[in-house]
Amino acid sequence: MTAPAEAPDPVDAHVAALSGLLRGPRRLTTRMLDELRDGLTDAVAAHRRDGVPPRRAAELAVRAFGAPEELAPAFQRELTIAQARRTARSAALAVPFAAACWLLLRTAGSGAWAATSGASHALALTSGLLLGVAAAASALAGVGLALSGPLGRRLPTPARLPSMVAWAGTAAGLALAGATVALALLALLGATWPAAVAAGAVAAASHGVVASSARACRRCARLPVQPVHT
Amino acid sequence: MRTDAVRGHLDGILLAVLEPGPLHGYAIITAVQRRSGGVLELRTGTIYPALQRLERLGLLRSHWDAVGERRRRCYALTDAGRAALTEERSAWREFTAAIGAVLDPATPGAAGGPAAGLAT
Repeated sequence: MTAPAEAPDPVDAHVAALSGLLRGPRRLTTRMLDELRDGLTDAVAAHRRDGVPPRRAAELAVRAFGAPEELAPAFQRELTIAQARRTARSAALAVPFAAACWLLLRTAGSGAWAATSGASHALALTSGLLLGVAAAASALAGVGLALSGPLGRRLPTPARLPSMVAWAGTAAGLALAGATVALALLALLGATWPAAVAAGAVAAASHGVVASSARACRRCARLPVQPVHT
Repeated sequence: MRTDAVRGHLDGILLAVLEPGPLHGYAIITAVQRRSGGVLELRTGTIYPALQRLERLGLLRSHWDAVGERRRRCYALTDAGRAALTEERSAWREFTAAIGAVLDPATPGAAGGPAAGLAT
């Protein structure tokens, strides 16, 4: 006969349940949950000072803080906005970097850049157009970054802002990858292998950083959030 | 007092209790309860995302502080936070004076108060 399993600590169970409902940047999620746990620990200690037994004190503290399902939308709102801001920042950093690579390759490029027709001309045109698309999407994401920062004191943060940033980031990631692949092919046509390798590396890095952040942002934006009442 | 009634004023309440100096999350909760004489009911856990929001807007700054053997996240007003608190107070006084003049017109000074500007 086995002894009955001990019920989990209400504070641990509460924090774990809330953690399971949240999606967002790991560092901020951990920080907010650590703060919540600190608060619960303080609340339990306050009840204990009033002579409440330990388990009952933990149950009272958890009840006062609110059920995980009640708290999750308020926590998720901040996490979703934080993920959107991260996506906007990554797009804002990656696009100028890719544009600098484009300029560098063009400056150091061979006759492939000067072609007025054929595959080289099409690739040069395509890479420039895709960089333009990436820059426009990055600027749109930048608007989201501004609206969710200190500017948000004067202007309300639109509820659909994280979705807008997520899709702008997705567009920027795809355009960056496409532009840099076109640059790599252009470098290959011009037989400049080091440039082709560099362009390929930029493609992988830009797509990896921006697109993965945008994907996480899309996942966050699908979760329910609590509107702000100020 | 219902949580819903407090929610619209949560920013101002949090800024006000931080005016005297930095506090960590649970100390903010107890400060609100103490100042309101236990009348204001907050869904305690929602304080943390509210503090994060005010920090994102640049009204608060925070840092980890060692308290005994534990580390706690402490919040303090920024200059923008102090300015926002001044605005919140001013708006609240105008609002309560106007509503008071309507609900209780016998109150001395109500006729010449802010309510006079509401006549349409």
